[in-house]
Amino acid sequence: MAFISSGYNPDKPMENRITDIGPRDFNEFLPPVIKKNFGKWAYHEILEPGVLMHKAESGDEVYTVRCGGCRLMSTEHIREITEIADKHCDGYLRFTTRNNIEFMVDSKDKIEPLKEDLLSRKGPGGDYKFPIGGTGACITNIVHTQGWIHCHTPATDASGTVKATMDELFEEFTNMRLPAILRISMACCLNMCGAVHCSDLAILGIHRKPPMIDHEYIDNLCEIPLAVASCPVAAIRPSKAEIVAESGEKKTVKTVAIKNERCMFCGNCYTMCPSLPLADQEGDGIALMVGGKISNRISAPKFSKVVVAFIPNEPPRWPTMTKTIRKIVDAYAKNANKYERLGDWAERIGWEKFFEVCDIPFTEHVIDDFRDPAYYTWRQSTNFKWTHGVEDFANIKK
Amino acid sequence: MAMVEYEGKQFDVDEDGFLLNFEQWCPEWVDFVKESEGIKEITEEHQKVIDFLQDYYKKNGIAPMVRILSKVTGFKLKHIYELFPSGPGKGACKMAGLPKPTGCV
Repeated sequence: MAFISSGYNPDKPMENRITDIGPRDFNEFLPPVIKKNFGKWAYHEILEPGVLMHKAESGDEVYTVRCGGCRLMSTEHIREITEIADKHCDGYLRFTTRNNIEFMVDSKDKIEPLKEDLLSRKGPGGDYKFPIGGTGACITNIVHTQGWIHCHTPATDASGTVKATMDELFEEFTNMRLPAILRISMACCLNMCGAVHCSDLAILGIHRKPPMIDHEYIDNLCEIPLAVASCPVAAIRPSKAEIVAESGEKKTVKTVAIKNERCMFCGNCYTMCPSLPLADQEGDGIALMVGGKISNRISAPKFSKVVVAFIPNEPPRWPTMTKTIRKIVDAYAKNANKYERLGDWAERIGWEKFFEVCDIPFTEHVIDDFRDPAYYTWRQSTNFKWTHGVEDFANIKK
Repeated sequence: MAMVEYEGKQFDVDEDGFLLNFEQWCPEWVDFVKESEGIKEITEEHQKVIDFLQDYYKKNGIAPMVRILSKVTGFKLKHIYELFPSGPGKGACKMAGLPKPTGCV
């Protein structure tokens, strides 16, 4: 398509330039019933999976229908969302912090037509466009990242793994039968954009090979001291190398040297320096972490802990990963007490028992070895149960 | 990798218009880039920022932190943006011939 100007004048870039106006005020977009009762809500109920009712002090009610969103959306899809909002909710809608979509109506009789409309909409492959659920003790949407769609440092894909996982756990999205909410998050490298470090179950892309060094270009493209300082284990040091350039010319260049036996493949140096790529088809894969939470309910917030050190990338459906996740979710659903988050449950029964109940092999990779704080993660006590986990550990020590 | 020519000089640049090789920098480069960075004329103040960035890069192998740039040149960040509308990274570093800023930018 030919160029169409928006009115911006490239010859005078600073003319008529509007800046620092910030986002629109959220008050502009509140449905009338929300605006009227803002700060005056009395209580709420979950009527059924995906449907909430909030009662205001004035007696007003607002009904919220929550449906799953794929997060990565076309404008066509967003237009369809607004069309639904126009039809049922006077044009108002909102997105949740886990990228679900919420439609709000002000009377009970408007729910059924809305639900019916939402569930009748399916994609060409038969998938629900707007599955209703995500409330109460369920598995709601997966917070995830860019993956192979857009990022340059991923070790796995985000949208693909998330779709495979949500398909496997779809029943848990549309039901509320777990002991407590189970948050699943996904990050495609250990930059951990999003919530993997604090989720009940986390999918994390990891590498298993050290970076390749592009000696010829590294000094031109990178600020070498930054690459050196980016390494958490100090595996990188500045050095000089004699190379034969692409042109056949022999020369000495400034570069870095990496101690492979120190490198743990975090990829930080590649973030800082384009000449140190490390993505690898066989090497890259997924680690699973469990037991994190952010809320302060009963127990304090927790970090998630690594329980599965490596699962290979198996696009497009990641069967090993989804199977392992299913095992963990089932073991938790069957064994945990009411209100117990996955981390609370694992800590109550003991991690050695967690490995046994979930039928996950315990490997040496799971034992923390990063700096002084690693010591605090070891067991300074004779309190333990004889389980597979303990036997696995004994075998590692042999 | 693209090659651009300006006033008889050749420059290897990447898709964002950063010089691929600091050695290729010359005053013509500044002249060539200024328009795409929204700068009409290179003033003494522009030159002061460019000179400092180059000195710092030659000495330390990295671009200075913004606070160091401000402190040494005496220009507040606001003034640096007035000089280089795209900012110290995309604007000033590009014109000085420094490598493209990396990290989560």
